[in-house]
Amino acid sequence: MKTIRCYLADDTSSRAAGAERLADTWSERQEIQLIRTSSRGAFFLEPMVERETPNGREAWFNVAPNDLPRVVAGVGGTPVAGIPFLQQQTRFTFANFGITEPLALDEYHTRGGLKGLAAARSLSPEAIVEELRISRLRGRGGAAFPVWKKWQVAQQIRSEQKYVVANADEGDAGTYCDRMIMEGDPFRLIEGMMICARAIGATRGYIYCRYEYPAAARAMRFAIQKAREADLLDCDDDPFDLEVVSGAGSYVCGEETALLESLEGRRGVVLAKPPYPSESGLHGKPTIVSNVLTFATIPNILANGGAWHASLGTEGSRGTMAVQLGGRVKQPGLIEIPFGLTLQDVLDRFGGGMAAGSRFKAVQVGGPLGSLFPESQLDIPICYDAFAEAGAILGHGGIVVYDHETDMVELARHFMAFTADESCGKCTPCRIGSVRGREILERIQRGQGTAEDLFLLSDLGETMKATSLCALGGRAPYPVLTAIEHFPGEFVRRQG
Amino acid sequence: MTIRYKDRFAEILETCRPAWPDNPNILKALLAVQSARGYVPTNAIPQIAQVLGVTDAQVAGVLSYYSDLRTQPPGRHLIRVCMGESCMANHGARVFRAIQDYIRMTAGDPTQAERFTVEQMSCAGNCAVSPTIMIGEDLHGGVDPSDVPLLLEPLS
Ligand SMILES: Cc1cc2nc3c(=O)[nH]c(=O)nc-3n(C[C@H](O)[C@H](O)[C@H](O)COP(=O)(O)O)c2cc1C
Ligand code: SF4
Ligand code: FES
Repeated sequence: MKTIRCYLADDTSSRAAGAERLADTWSERQEIQLIRTSSRGAFFLEPMVERETPNGREAWFNVAPNDLPRVVAGVGGTPVAGIPFLQQQTRFTFANFGITEPLALDEYHTRGGLKGLAAARSLSPEAIVEELRISRLRGRGGAAFPVWKKWQVAQQIRSEQKYVVANADEGDAGTYCDRMIMEGDPFRLIEGMMICARAIGATRGYIYCRYEYPAAARAMRFAIQKAREADLLDCDDDPFDLEVVSGAGSYVCGEETALLESLEGRRGVVLAKPPYPSESGLHGKPTIVSNVLTFATIPNILANGGAWHASLGTEGSRGTMAVQLGGRVKQPGLIEIPFGLTLQDVLDRFGGGMAAGSRFKAVQVGGPLGSLFPESQLDIPICYDAFAEAGAILGHGGIVVYDHETDMVELARHFMAFTADESCGKCTPCRIGSVRGREILERIQRGQGTAEDLFLLSDLGETMKATSLCALGGRAPYPVLTAIEHFPGEFVRRQG
Repeated sequence: MTIRYKDRFAEILETCRPAWPDNPNILKALLAVQSARGYVPTNAIPQIAQVLGVTDAQVAGVLSYYSDLRTQPPGRHLIRVCMGESCMANHGARVFRAIQDYIRMTAGDPTQAERFTVEQMSCAGNCAVSPTIMIGEDLHGGVDPSDVPLLLEPLS
């Protein structure tokens, strides 16, 4: 009997959707061999089995074990190129997803990997930074700071030791693109970090990975080992040490100064800036802390040139955006598109409508510190400037859709409780204000709130915004205040 | 505590002893202890502090700061329910209640003691297949409250 080679994703969410069970039941079958790849990110279709045909890959969706005969006979498949959710995307950073085996370095290489690093090695450190300046790449972790500026600072300081740190804390609930990169294309992160090491002259790197991502940490450790064996880990002929370090469940440790405190083994509290990590970071040495997606975007920029990157997107937001769609939509998943589409466009083209039995209520963009948008405000273009103007943030690109059953008072309470739990305690408005905010909302929930309480919340929010040291305290009021602004009835109705 | 266990504990700690000129890394040491033992007993703080060359208060400070560090032994099965926004939107709170109900149902039975520890967790990165729960390191997505008995029953 002929054995047919098929592809099935090996990603945390693919496994959660049933890929593992499928692989287990089919593992004994002679007629099929499953190659485990990264995931395309169309998680609503998983487990998705693909096979090669003369016209490119075909896919079977939501495959159950007893679908084997159909797949083997080649009936009922859909050309991958014809899946609207994927077809309408512009995949650069995620070009390999669903195609390659995550830990196959040769495949990574064949598909254009390591070209960026090779280009960087032929350039002077100054020329690398210049390329990034031209690219107009801004950090993808949330603060959207121009990457080249940080690199230039670290490059120009003379120091016998410098560090490169990948922020893999991915604390914003609703986001998962860093996890996908680490599990699905780990060499891209390594390549990005190596380019940074070359640009600033670093010989040591760390990947600070959240505790909730055991599979990502495992994949990264394997990939580092493979890269080392292939002699990829060196910087100007010095060995480059790269290590995966685990966090321990603190949201604020995603903030760069807290992250570095945690990396040194201390309590992850936020430090006042300046000095910035690029001047004085880990162990007091110049340190670049960048988000995983930021590093993963850099190989293509060096390979194709900064001008290529700058040609994508909008005026202030160049390149592509990794939208991570979640919540009550039919088609949650990863969407890589140039900046500029409106929220409405993204929901219409990719979301596929609301989940069965659900009606749209609101969408939250940018994680637990991001604002809520009602239906009437979905015409906002997805780019840093438009969001800043609206007092909102794109954050790390998470978009969560809530349905009509969502209780806005409970949601607001959840956000205040989250801040109270996660505050590092350094500033009073954040530490105490979040507890007071939670108490007020609990009072409203019990039906004992007064009209005064909403003024109090708004007052408290303004104080937190104005006087907090970091964005946890400074942005925590936004989801709460936008909930009150757009759904005042729910808060007023509960008043005693 | 058996002698054997004590030796192992010392062994783990020994791997965390800072090699000059490195600084002691308290968090790393505590994570190493937890990954071997399932939790960090507070009565081990002096020993940990001594090996690392730091004060007891410094160790206690780090231990209390991080929510994933545990000072009590978990049950035989550690269940964590994601309370992130995508799971909230998909009514993960109902799954949490179903788990609590299931456990309450068996509460009087002495053979059930120490069977489960239930905690809330922040986002597991499985937002597209939410709501999410983790049982040990096994992640389950798209969990419906009605799935709960099926998931928990086989765990003894
Ligand atoms: C409370 C808080 C949490 C943060 N969490 C993360 C995170 O999980 N991942 C991340 O990359 N950046 C996070 N940041 C942003 C970092 O401080 C920093 O700006 C970022 O890692 C820099 O990388 P970038 O330039 O590539 O964005 C957080 C910031 C704050 C204030
Ligand atoms: S705003 Fe909150 S989390 Fe940020 S430094 Fe102040 S207390 Fe810490
Ligand atoms: S919000 Fe629950 S897995 Fe992300």
